Amino acid sequence: MKNIKILALLMLIGLGTACTKNFEDINTDPYGITKESLKQDYNIVGALYKPMLMNIYTYDPVWVFQLQQNLLGDVYSGYMMIPTPFRGNSNNTTYDLVDGWNGFPWSVAYTNIMNNALTIKSRAEEDLPNFYAWSLIIKVEAMHRVSDMFGPIVYSHFGENPTSAAYDSQKEAYDNFFKDLDFAVETLADYTDNTAFSNFDISTYGGDVTQWIKFANSLRLRLAIRISNVDPAKAQVEAEKAINNSFGLIESNDENFVIDAGLLHPLSTINSAWNDIRMGAPMESILKGYNDQRIEQYFLKSADYPDDYKGIRNGIDIQTKDTYDGFSKLGPVIETTKVQLMTAAEVSFLRAEGALRGWNMGGTAQSFYENGIRLSFNQYGIGGVDAYIADNTSTAADYIDPNNSANNVTGAGLSQVTIAWNNADDNETKLEKIITQKWIAMYPDGQEAWSEFRRTGYPKLFTVMVNNSGGKISTEEFIRRVNLPASEYETNNAETLKAVETLKGPDTGGTRLWWDLGYNQW
Amino acid sequence: MKKIVISALMLLFALSGSLYAQERTITGKVTDASDGSPLPGVNIAVVGTSQGTITDLDGNYSLKVPDNNASISFSFLGYETKTVKVGSQTVINVALNTSDVALDDVVVTALGIKREKKALTYSAEDVKGDELTKVKDANPMNSLSGKVAGLTINRSAAGTGGSVKVLLRGNSSTTNNQPLYVIDGMPMLNYSPNQQNDVWGSTDGQGDGGDGISMINPDDIESITVLKGASASVLYGSQGANGVILITTKSGKAGKTRIDFSSNFTIDKVAYLPEFQSEYGSDPGALYSWGAKKSSPDFINDFYQTGQTFINAITLTGGNEKSTTYLSYANTKTIGIIPENDLVKHNLNLRQTTKFFDDKLKVDANIILTSQTIHNKPTAGLYFNPLTGLYLFPRGEDFQYYKDNFELFDPVRNIMAQQWPVDKDYEQNPYWAIYRNPSEDNNLRAIASITLGWTVTDWLSIQARGNVNKAYNSFDKKIYATTQGTLSHSTGRYILSKTEDTQLYADLIATINKSFNEDLSFSANIGTSITDYTLGDKTYHDSGIAGGLTFTNEFFLQNFVASPSMTMYQSMAQRKQVQSVFASASLGYKNMLYLDLSGRNDWSSTLAFTDNYSYFYPSIGLTGILTEMLSFPEAINFAKVRVSYAQVGNDVPSFETNILATSSTSGSLVAPNRTVLTTLEPEQQKSWEIGTDWKFFNNKLGFDFSWYKTNTTNQYFLISAPPSSGYTYYSVNAGDIENKGIEFSIYATVLQSGNFSWNTSLNFARNKNTVISLHEDLGGEYPLTPTSVNNYTFYIAEGEPFGQIRGKVIKRDEQGRIVVDANGNPIANSNVLEPVGNPEPDFTSGWSNTLTYKNLTLYFLIDGRFGGEVMSITEAMLDEHGVSQRSADARNNGGVDIAAVYEDGTPVSGKLDAEAYYTAVGGRDGFTGEYVYDATNVRLREFSLGYNFKLANSNVFKALNLSFIARNLFFIYKKAPYDPDISLSTGNGLQGVDVFAIPTTRSFGLNLKVSF
Repeated sequence: MKNIKILALLMLIGLGTACTKNFEDINTDPYGITKESLKQDYNIVGALYKPMLMNIYTYDPVWVFQLQQNLLGDVYSGYMMIPTPFRGNSNNTTYDLVDGWNGFPWSVAYTNIMNNALTIKSRAEEDLPNFYAWSLIIKVEAMHRVSDMFGPIVYSHFGENPTSAAYDSQKEAYDNFFKDLDFAVETLADYTDNTAFSNFDISTYGGDVTQWIKFANSLRLRLAIRISNVDPAKAQVEAEKAINNSFGLIESNDENFVIDAGLLHPLSTINSAWNDIRMGAPMESILKGYNDQRIEQYFLKSADYPDDYKGIRNGIDIQTKDTYDGFSKLGPVIETTKVQLMTAAEVSFLRAEGALRGWNMGGTAQSFYENGIRLSFNQYGIGGVDAYIADNTSTAADYIDPNNSANNVTGAGLSQVTIAWNNADDNETKLEKIITQKWIAMYPDGQEAWSEFRRTGYPKLFTVMVNNSGGKISTEEFIRRVNLPASEYETNNAETLKAVETLKGPDTGGTRLWWDLGYNQW
Repeated sequence: MKKIVISALMLLFALSGSLYAQERTITGKVTDASDGSPLPGVNIAVVGTSQGTITDLDGNYSLKVPDNNASISFSFLGYETKTVKVGSQTVINVALNTSDVALDDVVVTALGIKREKKALTYSAEDVKGDELTKVKDANPMNSLSGKVAGLTINRSAAGTGGSVKVLLRGNSSTTNNQPLYVIDGMPMLNYSPNQQNDVWGSTDGQGDGGDGISMINPDDIESITVLKGASASVLYGSQGANGVILITTKSGKAGKTRIDFSSNFTIDKVAYLPEFQSEYGSDPGALYSWGAKKSSPDFINDFYQTGQTFINAITLTGGNEKSTTYLSYANTKTIGIIPENDLVKHNLNLRQTTKFFDDKLKVDANIILTSQTIHNKPTAGLYFNPLTGLYLFPRGEDFQYYKDNFELFDPVRNIMAQQWPVDKDYEQNPYWAIYRNPSEDNNLRAIASITLGWTVTDWLSIQARGNVNKAYNSFDKKIYATTQGTLSHSTGRYILSKTEDTQLYADLIATINKSFNEDLSFSANIGTSITDYTLGDKTYHDSGIAGGLTFTNEFFLQNFVASPSMTMYQSMAQRKQVQSVFASASLGYKNMLYLDLSGRNDWSSTLAFTDNYSYFYPSIGLTGILTEMLSFPEAINFAKVRVSYAQVGNDVPSFETNILATSSTSGSLVAPNRTVLTTLEPEQQKSWEIGTDWKFFNNKLGFDFSWYKTNTTNQYFLISAPPSSGYTYYSVNAGDIENKGIEFSIYATVLQSGNFSWNTSLNFARNKNTVISLHEDLGGEYPLTPTSVNNYTFYIAEGEPFGQIRGKVIKRDEQGRIVVDANGNPIANSNVLEPVGNPEPDFTSGWSNTLTYKNLTLYFLIDGRFGGEVMSITEAMLDEHGVSQRSADARNNGGVDIAAVYEDGTPVSGKLDAEAYYTAVGGRDGFTGEYVYDATNVRLREFSLGYNFKLANSNVFKALNLSFIARNLFFIYKKAPYDPDISLSTGNGLQGVDVFAIPTTRSFGLNLKVSF
């Protein structure tokens, strides 16, 4: 009997030691980072900027960048074309929009940009307004690119509910972009001597608040120009607000908005390791036609035609990869760790267009146009810019596809504009010159170039030869947008259907965005 | 019925105490005649009366007898009953002889408790060790296939050394459906890391990570008991929710030292390759073989080699009544059917059992050590797989050239460079893949356990146990420069991954065995246990595809180009502690009615940060032995019915209630990808089981039947969040998955006359699985393998059986004709992937036969799975590439002869162009729904013919047996163009799809067993 008592005692001890006070420690991932720990060195806010800045234009993994932009804007802008017949050549390039690919520009932006921006808001809005303001600039820069692909986006209602998300129409989103820039510029004006960003800023601004304000002003100008056809009055107000801000805009190449994450430019991997991207035919036609020396920076001579640059026409019939992978690879401009997202040249061309519209841009259209070209030549250290600007005879060259003459583009298929400014030209011709030069200067950021092509119709690009859209996208009118991701329909159906209502047509690649009228309003 | 009521009343009376008073007392000890060890629990009865008792744990008893004329009978399951006349004796010691016939009537149940099979309230099936080693497989689980009703086994595509997917009574969980493995009463670590879940395979070449059970030496297994239902396994808690496989290992036997040696040699030949064409070539430089007629010699059969497996095992046992020792060593060497693939495994097992303090304390210590090295473990999927290049090689090119010159000197780089006619991410020169992308898997496992058993009184014993399971796994892959650009940097790539798994277990259990009187027996267990896991604690280094190596083709960590694009991380898959108290009680009345009750309460650390860490679950079961209650015709010698109900709770995955950010090699903060929406709660599983067992003609014929129904509710789900929410997932509890089924097994001694005997057994199981509900936010379906760019996904959907294969399907009109566009290309039925099959069989069956004539024994096992579907991405890609025989047949016939209509309904005249059709329909991203096959197959799984040499006169040998063995000899029925039982992953996703898995082999060999 005594034994039983001892036993009972032992059992009780056994139970007594069964304590659960370590359970929270045990259930904490040893390789996770707690909020408490992140407070050190202000990482709790600061650490969130790097993933944002690395994903406006995704560095890593490279295949995500390929889906985010390379197989969309980089191709649709005419900058580049794939030699690879992905999916039996029925893919984005031939207007068969691949849902499995096109969800990436969307999801990358929400997981990396919007999510971190929301966390920053919750941690910094009250205590660290400069950090909050900074995040807004990055958010606008990243999200206008997403809106320019899809149209409506989840923006002002982001994070309100984890299982569904209400959209902003594209108009509402643009209104909110301007408001966010207002707040950011006003707030940062009080922090110009503050160096708190420098530990976390992986752009070449290195935490310089003044530079960020200049970028915010330049971004405002870009967005204003983007809505100049659909809402000229608001566009003028916003554009002049940008010009009149006392901090000014990006005016020299050392002020370009460039991110340096220390990783190789993703285009380099796609171009060299994967051999999945090559020169686009319009680039060949225009750069060769204009005898433009930037071609040596932008592209390499073709492996198949060693003395020449050879581009691939968009959306052609490709049977096997080896047919076109010997065409021109992308050139030295991408052999860097730097990704360029806005240049002084672009800003100058934006001002040129504003001046052309009669807005007060602080100069004439011609002066800004020519300055834009100079800035671009200067950026690559290329001489002979005066002769180039004065060239009033060169036009786009014939495009010849040595593999398949059906893909050739000659004569009337090509743009007839020259380089030299002529005040006697009509506004359309002047605009075509401005946009064509801006298009050359902005290379290799195809996303912006594609947006400007859709807004203005310039430069004159080549239609696809194979259209697998099943009638959703007109070959002659080009692709206008990307349909909303399938995953949004699956997980956020009710709100997505509401968002589709704000479009000007069905949710297809053939429907024009809010700012895309199909003509230029003067 | 009346009888039962009376019995129940008597049971109550009996509790009031002993009814007898004036006898004298006999004492004694009952031992095993073979080794003198005491036998506890022996039934002792005074013949002709209802007086009786049972022996205690040391075999001692005391019994009151009425007078000297009385006889006492000693009966114990597994032993021959002995009757002794009392006479004037006061001490009667008895040694019982074992009886071969009834041995299988005692089974090991949960926590290692031995119980009489007839008293069980649930289904438990036994497989003896010699049945596992008859046709030996390096993984003992593979030998269970077809031998247990309701158990299905899928081997992984990784071949020997790979893990197995064992499923008992169907899938019930979205996270884990593998049973718990228990070795000598204590849970064994069977964590299986790195299961693939993508058609691409793995971009780091790391395949199936193996599992714990494959590391056990089959010769060490005394028996395996399969507890299929939750009623049986409730004492193991949540881990046992998917059933339990109890492994009892051999221990030393007192008496003369015995040495057993067994040697097994088998050869493996490739069987069931896809059918390839050899008539058409490829256009120069083309990826596909859609060119002009050009015959090409067979190079695929030449690539495969004859696999060889050698298993040599030696065991040594001996000891005395106080102490016994068991020592075994086994050595396995396997040469794979793919060149350069081999495996070496060493198993060492030492077990020492000693008794102290007048046999009151028994100490049982056991150490099992296993080390395994696999060179070039096969991987499935498209990447790093030599079979893609082998099968898809453009026909008409000279394969022999690429075999002899898989690398050639490249003067530009001054290195040896891979040679292959095409540049495609999923294709490499197969010889390059095996010689210049070599991998090394090392596994070291140790299980050390100790059991202390203390006999307190004749009815009470206490047992304290503990074990440590430790596994070290390392994976090393050297990828030489000029490997496919998708998989390597131009300077090469190196991957080193190390994983550690640790599991600590301890329990303390008090066992009470009490007979109140001859009618009423009572036994109970009360205990507490603690289990602590640290699983998948991983350190991973990968120089990456963008980063590369400083000095080309040098594979060590400091040679990584220090860049943010290399991958380096530490991660932990699971870390948790579960503390439990449990109790079970069994009441027996007159050997005819048994009532079992048990309950367990768990406290799990994974529920930390929620309101409640604790959850309780009970079970109840009742068995009635009909043959004891009612009178039956003489032909029926045993009949019982049983019913049980059990609940099991299951905790949630580790860290889910406390999701943290982490940091990436590229130096940025990685925000959590999911959010916890609701307070997570434990999962619940409720199960009912009803069964009956009958035996006829003195056990010559018998059958067991079970019906069960299991509902798993409140499961943990990760639901895809809208991308626009910023999260990828959110987690919730929801759902109801039901499994209903029947199991039936019948066994018979068909013939027994003179020198000849024929024993046969047949089992049959049918499981019907229904996903009754999922979380409302899931919209009725949940992906187990999510959608990717390849047209295969694996889903569960409401109202459907668990696990749907989805693929892209061609649109068909009401007459079944395919619909094509103006160019003759098939049109998709839908722009989403559609359900095309379910990989789980409708029913399974196994039929084994043993025929003995004198010393010759013939054994064979026929195993069948009926119903279910599988998809073949392999066949789809062979068609797309124009290398399948089908594609050549179509070309020879002037096109694909298939009824087709245009969209407006006008029939297509003539045949469809073969190239256009197959390049559109085939491929990993083509109409994969057209590559779905019936998985029904029936095969001769095991065959052996053995001879027992009679060595009665030998001074050296005690026994010698030599057998010829064969495995997978042939299919009796099969529709799929490959073995549909191979599974790409033993995880939950990627089921029922073949993506360039290594083909099944046909094995033959010899097995020699010698005892000294």
